[in-house]
Amino acid sequence: MQGLTTNAGLLRAFSSHDIASNSTRLILTRWAAGVMVLLATVVCVHGLRLPLPEAPLYAVGLIILAYNAIVFYWQMRRIPPLTEADAETHIRRLVLVQVGLDWLSMTIFLHLTGGITSPAVSFFFIHVVIVTVMLPAYAPIYAALAIAMLGGLALLEAQGALPHYTVLPGVPADLHTNGFFVLAQIIFLGTGLVATVFIASGIMHRLRQRELHIAALLQTAQDVNSTLEMTPTLEHLARNAAEALAVRGASIRLLDATRENLNLVAFFGLSQSYLDKGPVSLRHSELDRRVLANQAVIICDPMQDRRLQYPQEIAAEGIQSMLVAPIISRHRPLGVLRVYSESQRCFTEEDAEFLTAIAQQGATAIENALAHEQLSEADQERAQFVRAVTHELRAPVTGAQSLMRVMLRGMAGDLSDQQKDILRRLEGRLDSLLALINDLLSFAASKAVDMHQPPHPTPLNAILGSIRERYALQAEEKGLVFKFDLPATPLTVRSNEDGLIRIFDNLVGNAIKYTPAPGHVTVRVAHDADNVIVTVADTGIGIPEDVLEHLGQEFFRAPNAKEAGISGTGLGLAIVRQLVDYFGGAFHVESKLNEGSTFTITLPLTTGPETASA
Amino acid sequence: MAKGKILIIDDDPDIALATRLCLEQADYEVVEARSSTEGLAKVKAENPSLIILDVMMESTTAGFQTALALRSRDPNSAYAAYSQIPIIMLTSIHQTTPLRFGPEEDYLPVDDFIDKPVDPDVLIRKVEGLLAR
Repeated sequence: MQGLTTNAGLLRAFSSHDIASNSTRLILTRWAAGVMVLLATVVCVHGLRLPLPEAPLYAVGLIILAYNAIVFYWQMRRIPPLTEADAETHIRRLVLVQVGLDWLSMTIFLHLTGGITSPAVSFFFIHVVIVTVMLPAYAPIYAALAIAMLGGLALLEAQGALPHYTVLPGVPADLHTNGFFVLAQIIFLGTGLVATVFIASGIMHRLRQRELHIAALLQTAQDVNSTLEMTPTLEHLARNAAEALAVRGASIRLLDATRENLNLVAFFGLSQSYLDKGPVSLRHSELDRRVLANQAVIICDPMQDRRLQYPQEIAAEGIQSMLVAPIISRHRPLGVLRVYSESQRCFTEEDAEFLTAIAQQGATAIENALAHEQLSEADQERAQFVRAVTHELRAPVTGAQSLMRVMLRGMAGDLSDQQKDILRRLEGRLDSLLALINDLLSFAASKAVDMHQPPHPTPLNAILGSIRERYALQAEEKGLVFKFDLPATPLTVRSNEDGLIRIFDNLVGNAIKYTPAPGHVTVRVAHDADNVIVTVADTGIGIPEDVLEHLGQEFFRAPNAKEAGISGTGLGLAIVRQLVDYFGGAFHVESKLNEGSTFTITLPLTTGPETASA
Repeated sequence: MAKGKILIIDDDPDIALATRLCLEQADYEVVEARSSTEGLAKVKAENPSLIILDVMMESTTAGFQTALALRSRDPNSAYAAYSQIPIIMLTSIHQTTPLRFGPEEDYLPVDDFIDKPVDPDVLIRKVEGLLAR
């Protein structure tokens, strides 16, 4: 499930991170604001000689710096070890506290710089924009509070309940008692603040939506790339689309083989009764015909829309609007992606663009899955063909060999020496032919082995036992000392049964074949924590050093093996090598001409469950 | 007097002949069947003391299915009376692996295997071993 986190989680992380970085920026700005209050007071009082209340203003500046330090420390200290949801709550609370403190210090600052006549009144816009960006839900409240606070302050100062500071030279000292001026100030400022909140929150809303869309697209692209299985990918896709558009549900329908019906393959957030409403066919759904002609369609009033096949059922499900986007591959339409909203607000062109992009990802997922399916089908057919050919090629040869052996034994009457010699030659040729057929076919099969029997924990002991049984008699007949120690404990290696049989069949068979009597063939099995190490050592003809590197190349045979007149195809070790590679193991040969060879196979040990199946 | 009656079920006449010659040389009576259907009928008709069974006949697993029928664990099976007859399966090299399928994957309802081509010595040794049990 890695990489398939829900969209909501992803977006929460996004927004939480967003608020945190904004909060950091806010703290930085506040350092500047505190310092500015102090500096401006110094300049205005001592430079411009304005009649400002110096001490209280210094106090305000210092208080701003002080609580900023506390907020700074709080944010630094608390974030890292928290869970995502806790971090978000924490940062939200922190921002609310900051905004509240700013609101309070702003009010005091305004009072000290002239109340309603203060030139700093416009600073409120900065605060409103900050709140709208960080906590859009609180922006109107904050704007209303700002207006109420300024009105209250003006009222208190006008009635003399609070002292009034006249700070600008030339401004009449009783301007703050001028009802007309006060009202005009408050109305213009109030209108400005409300308009600012409205515009800023509109922009923020669109930005957030875009962010959601981008996150959903990213998530979908990840889903599509993380698996070749179609259904889970499409289910995630439906869910991502619905969550990113913040709507009730989504579904994906794909065209069937007749290209007439749209079958449901994935859905999210819809009731079973709605899903069971009946088959969707192009003949009855003008909507889908239009969508499959490569055009996203928005339905704003499903009850009245005649393009729909099931308007009643849609209404019963509580759906108020729908958006349907085409899923189209490079070559042809594949199906449709629908999203369903319960909200009165209809989908927009922007939503349609977004959904079309998501549907495009769906087309990629479907194409990938179909290509994968076709590949494995082709591979299965090939394997079946190989099996059929194997039987057809082997049957006549083994039939002839069986008869030949019976005749050579004199079971069908006595033979002259020359007849026996001829039959032996024939037998030899047939033996080589069978070996070639076996090797060629197992080589062909080993090339296809990955699709059918992926490596899995496979018990090794039984396979080695059957190999030992198969070759013990052969070795004895040839006059070789055959030592084959089976492991004392059951071992399981990452491989497959057929592959293991081929590997050891080849190695042990070769050792016996290339070792003249009286010689030794020794098979040892050892293991460490991670690997099983099987060595097959013989005292045979050996392999010349200069050709060791060619060993395992298809159809390569060492010249001394050919000279010795021993039949072989040069495919056996190629098969071994390929299989060992495929199982993630290692293959190693050491050899000395005329002294013998040692083949070492390392296979990864597994501790997983043993599977007895083939 | 023959040492026993052996039924060869194999659609390849050459293998059947080679097997028959070996067995007759060793003093066994031999009956042949060319398909699993014929083979099952002959089991009932001849009641052999041992069966030699090919794998690939009418289908790639015909022999395996024949063995399963003969060795059925159902006491009401039509072949319940013959379930004790030893069976040797004739296989090609590597062929035993793909055979291990079916409801009980470890359950191979035969007593021994012989690789084709048939080797007279191996054949006689295995037949005698099973009949001596």
